Amino acid sequence: MPVLVLPILLSLACAPLAYFAGRWRPGAAAWVGAACAVAALAALCWELTLGPARLVLPWAPTWGLSLEFTRDGLSGLYAAMALSVGALVVLYSRAYMPHHLAEEGRPARDEVRFQVLMLSFMAAMVLLVTVDDLLLLFIALDLTTIVSYLLIGFDRDDPESRAAALLSLVLTGATSVVFFAGAMALGLQYGTFSLPLVFERAATQPASTGALVCLAVGALGKSAQVPFHFWLPRAMAAPTPVSSYLHSAAMVAAGVFLLQRLYPLFEPAVAVRDGLLAIGFLSMTVGSLMALVADPFKRVLAYSTIAQYGYALVLVALGSEGAPLYVAAHAPCKAALFLTVGAITQVTGKKKLSEVSGLRHSLPVLAGASAVGAAGLAALPLTVGFFKDEVFFHALVEKGPLFMAAGLVGAGLTLAYTLRLWWGLFGGPRQDVPAAPRLLVAPVVVLAASVLVGGLLPGLLVAPSRAAAAASMVHGGASSLELAYHLDARAENLLALGAWALGAALFATRLTWTPMLTRVLEGTSKVGPAHGYRVLLHQLDRLSTWLHEKEVRDLRDRVASVLVPTGLLGMTVLWVTPLRDRFIAGSVGWADVTLVMALAFASAAALATLRARNHLVLVMLISCVGFSLAMVFAFAAAPDVALTSVLVETTFTLLFAGLLALLPDRRLERAQKEAQQPRGRDRISAGIAGASAFLLSWSALSHLQADRVGTQTVKLAEAAHSPNVVAAVLTDFRGLDTVGEMSVVLAALLGVTSLLKLKGKG
Amino acid sequence: MRSFVPPLSRMLLWPSLIIALSFWLKGGGEVGGGFPAGALAGLAVLLQYVVTGREQTRRYVVVRYAAPLAGVGLLLVVGTAFLPVLAGYTPVSLFPRPGQPGMGAGAFHLHTALIFEGGLMLIVFGLVVTVIDRFALSTANQGDEGP
Repeated sequence: MPVLVLPILLSLACAPLAYFAGRWRPGAAAWVGAACAVAALAALCWELTLGPARLVLPWAPTWGLSLEFTRDGLSGLYAAMALSVGALVVLYSRAYMPHHLAEEGRPARDEVRFQVLMLSFMAAMVLLVTVDDLLLLFIALDLTTIVSYLLIGFDRDDPESRAAALLSLVLTGATSVVFFAGAMALGLQYGTFSLPLVFERAATQPASTGALVCLAVGALGKSAQVPFHFWLPRAMAAPTPVSSYLHSAAMVAAGVFLLQRLYPLFEPAVAVRDGLLAIGFLSMTVGSLMALVADPFKRVLAYSTIAQYGYALVLVALGSEGAPLYVAAHAPCKAALFLTVGAITQVTGKKKLSEVSGLRHSLPVLAGASAVGAAGLAALPLTVGFFKDEVFFHALVEKGPLFMAAGLVGAGLTLAYTLRLWWGLFGGPRQDVPAAPRLLVAPVVVLAASVLVGGLLPGLLVAPSRAAAAASMVHGGASSLELAYHLDARAENLLALGAWALGAALFATRLTWTPMLTRVLEGTSKVGPAHGYRVLLHQLDRLSTWLHEKEVRDLRDRVASVLVPTGLLGMTVLWVTPLRDRFIAGSVGWADVTLVMALAFASAAALATLRARNHLVLVMLISCVGFSLAMVFAFAAAPDVALTSVLVETTFTLLFAGLLALLPDRRLERAQKEAQQPRGRDRISAGIAGASAFLLSWSALSHLQADRVGTQTVKLAEAAHSPNVVAAVLTDFRGLDTVGEMSVVLAALLGVTSLLKLKGKG
Repeated sequence: MRSFVPPLSRMLLWPSLIIALSFWLKGGGEVGGGFPAGALAGLAVLLQYVVTGREQTRRYVVVRYAAPLAGVGLLLVVGTAFLPVLAGYTPVSLFPRPGQPGMGAGAFHLHTALIFEGGLMLIVFGLVVTVIDRFALSTANQGDEGP
C-alpha cells in the first residue's frame, strides 16, 4: 500500500521543499524542486515496473466516500509526462525568471513564489492523473484551475495578464462546474463515485447522455477545444515557462486525460463520441488556420496546441489505442518549441515573427534542438512525432476516405505552420543577437533528445503506450498497438507523404495566401465565441451595476433586499409543507406568569425601538429585548442558554456602543430621520419579514415533540458522557454544525479586521 | 479624588478569567461551556479596554495574540472534528465513545469534547478581543485626526 503513494507524496513535497530552499537562497528553489520532481519520477518509474495497483483510503465510510488512487498505464504515462516536463521547465525558469522579473521591476525573491506555484501545479496534475474517484477528479481538476489562474496572472501589474488569468479561470472553472454536475449525476445514478465500480455498473446500465455531455464539456473546456478555445491564446500573456508547461504537457492535457480516463463510459454512447469527433476536427481546422497567420510566436504555438489537442480528441472519440501516445509524443515537441521562443524573447526582446529572422547563426544549438522539436510536431520521420501521426492515420484509415482526407489536410497544415514558425525564427536574413544562457538552452536540448530517442527506438514506446491504452479501454484487455517504420505503400505512409507534400506546398506559396486568410479569420473573429464572451461579460457587468445601484442607494432597501426574499421563502415553505394542526395555541396557567411577564417586557422593549430618539437609546432598547429573553430562558429552566445570552448580550451592547462612536454623526442623524418616516414599501417589507418569522416560529413550536426533543436527548447526552444537554448537542449531536458556525465566526473576524484596517488607512 | 474603578477592574481581570476557565472545564456536566467561557473572558478584557485604555491592556500577551488564538481555536475545533476520520471514525466522533467507560470527577469529564469546547472558547475570545481592539484603534485614530 505505501508503495503507491510514494510518487504522489514526493510530488506533493516538491513545492514546500522548494519554498524552504527559496527562503534560504532564492536560486536554490528551482534546483531543489527539480531534484524532488526527478525523485518522484524515479519512484514512479520503479513502481510502474511492479504492475497496476489501487489504493483505497476510507474517508467518510457512512456516506460511501473514500479516497481512491490507482496506478495503471494511463496515470503512469501522464504522471511521467507532467513530472519530466515539469522538472525541465522549472530548471528553465531558473534562467528565465530573474531576467523576466527584472524587466517587470519586481524583486528577485518573487522567483521563489513562481517556482512554488509551478511545482504546486505539477503536484495537482500528478494528483489528477492518479486519483480513481469522480469527486477527487473534480477536486484535482479545480486545483489545477486555481493554480493556473495564479500562474497565468503571475505578472499581476500587467492588466492584460490579469484579464487573461480571469478568462481562463472563468472558462475552465465554469466548465469544471459542469463536469461536477456530470460527476454528481453519475454518482447518483450508480450510487458510488469510485471509478472501477462506476465502470462495472455502466457495463449493464449505460450512463445517461446528459451526464456524459456534462463530463465532456468539462474536458473540452480544460483542453481548450472549440468553442472554449479562445482562452488559450489569451493565456499566452503568462511568462513563457508557464505556457510551455501548462499549455503543452499539463493543463490542456488534463481535459483529454479525463476523456481517456472515463472512456469506458463514453464507449457505448456513439452520439456523444460523434459530437466529440466533430469538435475535434473543428478545433483542428480552427487552430491550424489561426496558427498559419498568427504573428506572435507564442500565439502560433497556442493555436497549434488547440489543433493538436483536436487531433487527440479525434483519436479519443474514435476509441483509438493511440490517444495516450499522441498526447505523450506531442508534449515534449511543444514544450521544446515554447521554451525556444521564450529563450528567443529573452535574448532579443522581440515577441513577433515579423520582428526576428536568421537567428540560426547566433543561436545554433537552439536552432538545432528546436528543429528537432518542430520536426516532431510536424511528424517527420526519425522523431517520436512520426508515430503520433501514424496512429492518427491508422485510426482514420479504418473510418474511410473522407476522414483520411481530413487527416491529410490537418497534418499538412501542421507541417506548414511549423515550418513557418521555425523558418520565421531561424531562417532568412541574418540577425546577430547575444548568446542565450546555457540553462535556457539545455532543457530544449534534453527535450529534443527525447524526441529523437523516441523516434529512433520506437520499441521503447510500445510498452507504456500499450499499458496506457489498455488502462483506458473498457475491457482492460491487451492492446495491440504496433510502432515501427514500414517502408511500403500502406495507406498510413501514403497519407504521411501526401501531408508533407501539402505542407511543403503551402509553405512555399505562403506569401500568396497569407493576406487573404488573415482577412477571413479577422472577419470571423467578430462573430466567434470570444466575441460572445466579451458581450456576456459586459452585460453581466451592467446587470451587477444596476443591481448594486438599486440595492445600495438606500440602507433600508438593502435590508429589505435580504429580509423580503427570506420572508417570502419562509412563507412558501410553510405553504407547500403538508402539516396537520399547523398552528396550535397552547394553554397558559398561573405557573407561567413569570414567563409571560418577561415576554411582555421584551415585546414592550421591541415596540419601543420604533420610537427611539437616538441610536444609543436604540442600542439600549435592543439589549433590553435580549436581556428579557435571557430572563425568559432562566425562568424556563434553561440556565445554560440564559447564561450565554446574558454574556453575549452584554458583549454586543458594549460593542454596539463602541461602533456608534466610529460612525460619523451626520450619517447617524440622517438614518435617524429616515427611520422616523417609514415609506409604504418599508411597511410592506417589514410586514412580510415579520409575519414570516412569526408564522415559522409558531409552526415550529406547534410541532415540538417533547419526547423526542426532551427525554431522548437527555438520555443520549448521558450516554455521550456529557450530562449537560446543551453541551452535548453543541459538541456531539450537532458537532459538524458547530464546526461550520465557528468557521463563519472566524471569517467574520477576518472581515472585521480587514475592513477596520482599511478604515484606519483611509 | 481617585476613582476606585480602575484598581477594582484591574483586580477583576484574573478572577473573571479563572471563572471563564471553570466554565469551560465544567461545561460537560454543569452550566457552562466553551461559548460562554470565551464571551466572559472577552468581557473581562473589554472592561480593561474601557477603563485603562488600549496601550495598558495590550501589555497582556493574551490580548496581543487574540487573533492568532482564534486561529488556534479553529484548528482545535477542526482537528477534534476531523482527526477521528483518519482512524476510520465518522467526523466529530468524540472519545470516549458512548458505552466506553468515562473518566472524571464531579462536573469535570475527561473527554475530547473538552478540546472542542476549548477551541470554541478561543474563537469567541479572539473574535471579541480583536473587534474591541480594532474599535479602540480606530477611535484613537479618529481622535488624532479630528478637529
